[in-house]
Amino acid sequence: LYIIPYKTRNSLPPVPSTSRTSFAEFSIRERMREKLKAARSKAENALLQEDPNPRPRHLKSLKQRESETRWDKEVRNTMCMVACSICCHFNKKVKVQTDFPSAEEAYKFFTFSFDPDPENIKDETKSKKKSESNQEEEEGEEQECVVSHQQEQTEDGMDEEDCLVNNREDLFIIDQMARDFLVVKPAEYKSYSERLQKEREILFTPSILTVPMSQKVPENMQPRYIEDEGLYTGERPIVSLSNQNILENRILRQEWFGDDGKLLALPSPIKQYSTRPPIFSLEEGIEPELETLYRKAMKPMHANQYIVGSGDPQGQFQLDIDISGLIFTHHPCFSREHVLAAKLAQLYDQYLARRQQNLTKLLTDKLHALRNAVQSSLDNSGTSFLHIYIYRQTRRLRDAEQEKDRTLLKTIIKVWKEMKSLRDFQKFTNTPMKLYLRKEEVDQRSDKKIYEAEIQAEINELLEEYMEEYEKKMEEYKTELQEWKSWKKAQTKKKKKIKQSQDQEEEEAENSEYVEEPVKPIPPKLADSLEVEQQVREKAINIRRKPGEPVLIPELSLTGSVTPNDLCPRAEVLRREDVKKRSLFLKVLFNTKEVSRTISRQISSDFRVHFGQIFNLKIFNWPESLKLQIYETMGFSSTNLLAEMFIPVPETTVLTGRARTEEIEFSSNQRVMLDHEGVGSGVPFSFEADGSNKITLMTSGKVSSSVSWAIGENGVPLIPLVSQQKTGIPSALKNIDAVASIGTSGVTDMKKLAKWAAETKLDPNDPKNADLMQLIMVATSGDACVPGFFRLEQLQQEFNFASDEELNRSKRFQLLQLRHREVAEFRNYKQVPLLEREITEKLFENYEKRLRERDVIDSKDHLDAHRALVAKYLQKVRESVINRFLTAKHHFLLSDLVNEEEVPSLGNLGLSLFKLAEPKRPLKPRRKERKKVTAQNLSDGDINLLVNIIRAYDIPVRKPVLSKLQQPSRSSRSFNEMFAASPSPQSPTRSIDWTFNQVLVHPFVEVSFQRTVCRTTAAEGPNPNWNEELELPFRAPNGDYSTTSLQSVKDEVFINIFDEVLYDVLEDDRERGSGIHTRVERHWLGSVRIPFSTIYFQTRIDGTFKIDIPPVLLGYSKEKNLGNERSYDSVRSLSEGSYITVFITIEPQLIPGDPVREKFDTQEDEKLLQAAEKYQAECALKFPSRQCLTTVVDINGKTVFITRYIKPLNPPQELLNGHPNNSQAAAELVARYVSLIPFLPDSVSFAGICDLWSTSDQFLDLLAGDEEEHAVLLCNYFLSMGKKAWLIIGNAIPEGTTAYVLTWEQNQYVIWNPSNGRCYGQFDTFCPLQSVGCLISFDNIWFNIQQYDSPVRINFDISKPKLWKSFFSQSLPYPGLSSVQPEELIYQHIDKAAALELQGRIEKILKEKIMEWRPRHLTRWNRYCTSTLRHFLPLLEQFQGKAVEDDHQAELQKQLGDYRVSGFPIHMPFSEVKPLIEAVHSTGVHTIDVSNAEFALAVYIHAYPKNVLSVWIYIASLVRNR
Amino acid sequence: MAAAAAAPTVFLLMVNGQIESAQFPAFDELYCKYCFVYGHDWAPTTGLEEGISQITCKNRDAQQALVWNFPIDITFKSTNPSGWPQIVVSVYGPDLFGNDVVRGYGAVHVPFTPGSHRRTIPMFVPESTSKLQKITSWLMGRHPEFTDPKVVAQGEGREVITVRSQGFVTISFNVVTKDMKKLGYDVSPSDMQNP
Repeated sequence: LYIIPYKTRNSLPPVPSTSRTSFAEFSIRERMREKLKAARSKAENALLQEDPNPRPRHLKSLKQRESETRWDKEVRNTMCMVACSICCHFNKKVKVQTDFPSAEEAYKFFTFSFDPDPENIKDETKSKKKSESNQEEEEGEEQECVVSHQQEQTEDGMDEEDCLVNNREDLFIIDQMARDFLVVKPAEYKSYSERLQKEREILFTPSILTVPMSQKVPENMQPRYIEDEGLYTGERPIVSLSNQNILENRILRQEWFGDDGKLLALPSPIKQYSTRPPIFSLEEGIEPELETLYRKAMKPMHANQYIVGSGDPQGQFQLDIDISGLIFTHHPCFSREHVLAAKLAQLYDQYLARRQQNLTKLLTDKLHALRNAVQSSLDNSGTSFLHIYIYRQTRRLRDAEQEKDRTLLKTIIKVWKEMKSLRDFQKFTNTPMKLYLRKEEVDQRSDKKIYEAEIQAEINELLEEYMEEYEKKMEEYKTELQEWKSWKKAQTKKKKKIKQSQDQEEEEAENSEYVEEPVKPIPPKLADSLEVEQQVREKAINIRRKPGEPVLIPELSLTGSVTPNDLCPRAEVLRREDVKKRSLFLKVLFNTKEVSRTISRQISSDFRVHFGQIFNLKIFNWPESLKLQIYETMGFSSTNLLAEMFIPVPETTVLTGRARTEEIEFSSNQRVMLDHEGVGSGVPFSFEADGSNKITLMTSGKVSSSVSWAIGENGVPLIPLVSQQKTGIPSALKNIDAVASIGTSGVTDMKKLAKWAAETKLDPNDPKNADLMQLIMVATSGDACVPGFFRLEQLQQEFNFASDEELNRSKRFQLLQLRHREVAEFRNYKQVPLLEREITEKLFENYEKRLRERDVIDSKDHLDAHRALVAKYLQKVRESVINRFLTAKHHFLLSDLVNEEEVPSLGNLGLSLFKLAEPKRPLKPRRKERKKVTAQNLSDGDINLLVNIIRAYDIPVRKPVLSKLQQPSRSSRSFNEMFAASPSPQSPTRSIDWTFNQVLVHPFVEVSFQRTVCRTTAAEGPNPNWNEELELPFRAPNGDYSTTSLQSVKDEVFINIFDEVLYDVLEDDRERGSGIHTRVERHWLGSVRIPFSTIYFQTRIDGTFKIDIPPVLLGYSKEKNLGNERSYDSVRSLSEGSYITVFITIEPQLIPGDPVREKFDTQEDEKLLQAAEKYQAECALKFPSRQCLTTVVDINGKTVFITRYIKPLNPPQELLNGHPNNSQAAAELVARYVSLIPFLPDSVSFAGICDLWSTSDQFLDLLAGDEEEHAVLLCNYFLSMGKKAWLIIGNAIPEGTTAYVLTWEQNQYVIWNPSNGRCYGQFDTFCPLQSVGCLISFDNIWFNIQQYDSPVRINFDISKPKLWKSFFSQSLPYPGLSSVQPEELIYQHIDKAAALELQGRIEKILKEKIMEWRPRHLTRWNRYCTSTLRHFLPLLEQFQGKAVEDDHQAELQKQLGDYRVSGFPIHMPFSEVKPLIEAVHSTGVHTIDVSNAEFALAVYIHAYPKNVLSVWIYIASLVRNR
Repeated sequence: MAAAAAAPTVFLLMVNGQIESAQFPAFDELYCKYCFVYGHDWAPTTGLEEGISQITCKNRDAQQALVWNFPIDITFKSTNPSGWPQIVVSVYGPDLFGNDVVRGYGAVHVPFTPGSHRRTIPMFVPESTSKLQKITSWLMGRHPEFTDPKVVAQGEGREVITVRSQGFVTISFNVVTKDMKKLGYDVSPSDMQNP
C-alpha cells in the first residue's frame, strides 16, 4: 500500500500562522466542502454522461437500500483519496456533509461496524486515529462523535488530495479518469515577508482608538442627544467599545454619523434570524427522507358541536385561572400592631415602587440635559421657547416628585416609631416586622457644593424667569402707559377747550368723564434676588435632603420575633386563637355561575393565605364576567361571604405561561366587632391612650391571581374568535388590538397580520408595537430559515409502500381507502379492480358530486334558499351522527357474538309447565310471532310487504250531473239534519236515478310502494269490503340489507282509494243493442300514507285510519245516511271522515335495529340521572310495554332531562290576533300552524340513533322534525296561551311511539295530534292515540300506573298518586331545572313576495311534470278553469278546508257547465318540491286518456311566520259533455 | 385467450385438500362444518364455500384421532390480496344427553404459497358468563355458541368474549395460484424463485 496520509501534512504548516484565529472560524469544513463540491459536480457531470441508468429511486426495499448505503459509506471513506474511482458509481446518494446527522447517517452510526476497509486503509486508520485526536485538541471543537469522525475522514482525505494525485495510478487500475477531473498544479508559496508587504498594500487596519467627536459631527455643529431631549430612543445592544471604535474608524470618511456623533443605526440592528448562510446548502443537502413536505391544513371535524344558526363549529376554549394567594391589608382580627404593620408594609411597598421608578433621578437627569440644551440653543441661535418651556415644566415635576419622596420617607419613619412605641407599650410583639434605616454617609463638602450649585442654578433660572416676566410686563406696562398718556393728553386738551367755551356744565361732564378715566398703570416690580433665594432655599429644605445629611434608606425585614402565646396577655391570646379558627376559600364564578372553588385554608398569623391552585375552565360561552368570591369560615359555623371581586377577562394575547400574576384588591364593608385584642372592621379605634384621633378600617386585602388563555396541545391558543362575542366591542379597541380584530387564528397567519398592520397604519416607531413589527418583518421577509427538521419516526418512510401523492393519484388506492372508511357510496363495493385502467371515472362521480355540493347551496331542488340551507345543515348533522354510529357499530356486546341461554326464572318454568296443559288447537288462536330474520343474509326479492286491505267506511259518493238550474241540494241542509235518519226531501226523486242507473261509488284501493303498484278489485258502495291481500316486493337501497340501511329507507306506502267510473263511449246509438263500449276512468278519492320506517319499527300495522280526503272533491259528496244502514253509522258520522282498515306487515319479519348503545355526555346532575334511571327501571318492571321517558338526547348529542323542554313560548302574534276572543279557534289555528311544519322522522334522518330532540327554536330554524318536536312546540304554545297542557308519551297508530299533547279545557281533556293539528276528546273512539305511557309537564313526569292505558279508559287526574307515579315527589323535590328552550321565539315577518314567487315556480314545475307524465297525449290547459280554481284556494286556506265545498262546487258548476269536472285540492306543508310532485302523481289525475280532456292546475301558498308555508294545489281534469 | 393471458386482471387461487382429523380427547361422535371467509375483493368461482361432514367416532388405538378426511375444493378469484381467504372450522357433537353441542371453533388462513401444506388449528369454544349459567347450560344442553361462526375469522369484537380452548383439527391444503406474479404479487419463497 502506498498511502502516506498525514506525515506530509504534519510536516507542513497546515495554515499560515497569521490566520490562526480565522482558522477556527472559517472552519476546515467549509473549505473542504467547497472542494468536495467541486469534485462532486465533476463527478456528476461524468456520471450524467456515462451512466444512462436512471437514478435509483428511494422506493426500494430496505434491504437493497441498506446494502447500497453501506457501500456508499465505504465509498465515502475512500472517496477523497480516490475521487475519480467513484465517479462511475457515484449517485445522488452521496451527500454533502451537514452538521446534523441525517437519518441515514444516524442509522449507519449504529449499524455500521467501523471496520476499516481491509484492502486499502489498514494503516490509514492508525494514523487517522492519531490525527483525529490531534486535531480535536488543536481545534478544540466539541463535536458530536459521528460528525467529527466523518468530517475528519473526508477532511483529511481532502488535504491529502494533492499529494495523492501522483500516486494514484499505482493505487487503482480502474481510475483512468483521474486526470479528467483534477487539475494538477504545483503548490504555490510566497515568503512571509513578501506576503506581509502585499497585505499592507491591500489591507487597511483601523485603529482601535476612540474617534474624536469633532470628526464625527459635521463642522460647526454640536452633538445633539435626542434622548436627553426627552424623545424615545431604543436601547442599543451592548457592543464592545473597541469594536465600535474600529467600525467608526473604518467608516469615518463617510457621512455615517448622526448628530450625536454615534453611528447611525437602528435601535437594535440585530436581526431576528441568522444572516449567515446555513451550514448545509439547501439545494442538494437535504436527503429525500428529510425533506419537509407541505401538507394542506385540514379543518378538524367536530363531531357534535353543531349550534343552530352559527355556521362555524365552536372549538374548545380554555381559560386558566391561577389563584396563588391572598393577603389581608386589614382584617377584623388585626391587632393594633398589625394595623401599623400593614400600613408600614404598604408604605414600604410604595417606597420600593418609587425607588424602582426613580422618577426624581430621571427628572433630574432630564433637567440637566435640558439645561444643556437650552444653554446650547441660547449659544447657537437665540432662545428656543419650547425648550425653555419643557425645562420649566420638568423642573416643577421634579420638585413635586422630590417632595413626595421626602414625605414618604418621613411617614415611614413616623409609622415605624409609632409601632415601636406600641410594642413598648403593650409589651409584646405580634409581627416580625422590623425597619432598618441604613445611613449612607456622603461627602459633606462635595454634597454641599452640589446642593449649592443646584440652588444657585435654580435661583438664576428663576431670576431669569422673573426677568422675562418682568420684561414682558414691562412691555405691557409701557404700552399701557403710552395709551394712558395719550389719553391724558387728549383729556387735558379737551379740558382746555371746554374751559374756554363753557363754565357750568363742565363740572358734570368732567365728573362723568372721570369715571371712564383709565387707572394709571403701575410699573412692575423687579424680582428681588434675595427674596427669590429665600424662596428657593425654603423649598429646598422642605423637599430635599439637607447638604451633608446622610442618605436614609429604609429596609423592612421580617426578622423580628413574635412574642409566644404564654407571654401575652389574655386578650391577645384570645385574638390569636380566633385567627387560628378562621379559614378562607375562594369561589370562581364564570358568567355568574360557580365553576370551581379553592380548598379551604387557614389564615396564618401574618394574615396571608396561600392557595396556589390553577383552574382550567373549558368554556363554551363567551366569557362575560369572571368573578372571585372570598368566603370566610369561622370554626364550624357557617361561611360568610367576605368580598367579591371581578377579574377582567384577559385579552386574547394573554396566554398561559406569559400571563403575569396580578394583585387585585378587595374590601368589604361588613362591620365586625370583636371582644378581644382584634380591632375589628368598620369599628373606630385609636392608637392614642386618650382615645382621640380615631380611625376606622374596613376589611380589605389583595388576591394575587392570573387569568390567561390556555394553549392547546398543538400550540394553538384556545381562544374563541372575537366575532362570536355577543357584546359588541368598541371599535377603537378593535383597531388597536390585532388579535381582537382578526382573531387568534389570524395571528399565526403572518400575511393576514401584516395586512392588518398596513391597514390600521400602525406606527412602526412606537416601541409598543416593536414586537409585532419585528414579527411581521421576519415573517414577511421570508428568509427566516427554520433550522431543519425533527423527525420522530425516522424509519417511517421506509415502511410506506407508496408515497402520499401516489396514493392520491391512484384511483384504485382511492377506492380502497374510501371503502375502508365506509363511505356510503363504497361501503360494500365488491371486487375493486386490480388495475388502474379498469376503474372508470364514473365510479367517483357521485361521490365527488356529493363532496362538491356539500358547501354549495343549491336552490334548484328546494326553491327556497332558507330551506336549502336547512337541508345542508341537516345533512351535516346527519353525517356526524352517522359517523358516530359507524364507530359505535364496531363496539360489540357479548350478546352480539355469543348465543347464550338465559337462566330461566322460576316463574318462567311454571308458565312453561302450564303451557303443556293448554289445548293444542284453541278456539280463539292468538297471532303467533313469526320467526324473525336478521337482516344481513337477505337479498333482493326475499322481502315482501304484505298489505291487507280489509274495508273502508264512508267513502264519498258520486253526485249526479246536475243541470245548471238545479239548486245545489245540500248547501241548505242544516247540521241537525245530518243526524236525521230520514232522507232529505229531494232525495226520493234522485235516488230513483241513482239506484237504477248507477251505483253510488265503485271504489278500489291501489297500493303503491317503491314504484310497484298493486290494486284490489272494485267493490261497491260507500262502505266497501275488500278483504284482499296485496304483496309488494321490497328492495333495499343499493342492495344493502343491513339494519342501518333499512332504517333509513325513506319510501312511503301510498294507499290510494279510487273510484272506478264507467263511461259509455259508444259513438253510434244504433249499435247499442249489439255491443258495449265503455271506457273506464278512475277518480282519486283519497289516500293514506304510511312511511316504511314505521312499518319496519312496528313490525306490523293494524288499524283503522282516517283517509286523507281533500276538502273538496268535485263530483263527489259525502252522502251520509243515504242508504238506510246500521244505526252505528250515525254515531260514526260524528267524526266526519272516511276510514279504511288495513293490516300491513313485512314478510319475513325483520328485526329492527337496536338503538345505539352509547353513553352520551351530559351536563345533568349525576344524582338526577341516577334517579331517572331508577325511575325508568321501576316503571319498566311494572309495565314493560308502556313508554317512560325521562332523559332524551339533544341535537348536540347530549343527554338532557326531558322536563327542560317544556316551557311557555309565545306563538306568532299574527295567529293570536286572528281570533282575539275565541281561544278555541286560536288554539286550533296554532295547532294548524305547528302541523304545517314539515315532518321528518328522526329514524330516517338519523338512522339507528335514538330520537334526537331539538329545542323549539332549533325546530323552527330547521323547519323539520318529528312528532316530539311538534308536540313540544304545541305544548309550549298552549302553555303560553294560558292553557293547562301536558306532553303525552304513548303509542299511536300509525306512528308507533309518539308524543301528543293533552290539554284541559272546559272540564274535559282534549288530546291533540301535533303532526296534523287535529284534536280529539278523551272519549273519541277514533283518536289515533292507543295508549298513554307518561305525562310530562315543565316540572314533573307522571307515569301511568293504571290498569289500562287506552286514553278512553284512564283517568287523567295526575294528582292521584295511585294512578300516576310522579318523578319528583316529596322524597325528591323538584330542583328547579332551567329550561333548554330560549326565552322567547322570534318570528320573521311573512315574506309574501317570496311565497308568491315560489307559488309561480311550483305551478310551473307541476305543469311541466304532468305534461311529462302524459307523453302520448297532448295536454291542454284550461285557463278559465285554472283562474277559477286559483280564486278558490285562498278561501280554502282561510276556512282551513271546511265548509266551502258546496258553494264552491255550485260556482264551478255554474261557470263550467258543459264540462264534467273531476278534481280536488291537495293540501300539504311545504318542505321540498319532490313530495308535492309525488302527491300529485299519486292521485293519478294525469292518467285520464280521453283525447279531449283538459286540465286545470292552480297553486296557492299561504305564508305563515317563520317561513312556514301551507301549500294548496288544486288539480282538476275537465271533459266536455256532449 | 391470448389477450387475457397477456394482461390478466385477476389472479386465481385454487385450494383443495381435506379436513383430515381432529384431536378431542374428551369427546366422541363429532362432525364438523367449514366455511370460507374472505374480503370484499374476493369471489369464489367454483367449488363449495361451505360444507358439513359426516359424524366420526374415535378410533380405538392410543392416539384416539377422529378422522373425517373431508375434502375441500374451491377456487377463488381476486384483485387484492387483502382479505385472503380463511377457512373457519366448527366442530359439533352430542353431549351427555344427546344434545348437539359445539365442541370447538377455529380458523386459519389458506396458505399463501403454492404447494402442499398441513395446518393444525387449535380449537376453542365460548365460555358461559357465570357459574350458574354454566350449570344451566349443561343441564339444558344449550352451551353458548357464536351467533355466526365467522366471528372467529375476524378480530373485531373479540374483547367481549371468554373462550376455553379444546382440541385440535388438522387440515391439509394443496394450493395453486395463477397470475399472481404477473400482477406483481410474489408469494413464493426465495428458494423457489431461483431453483
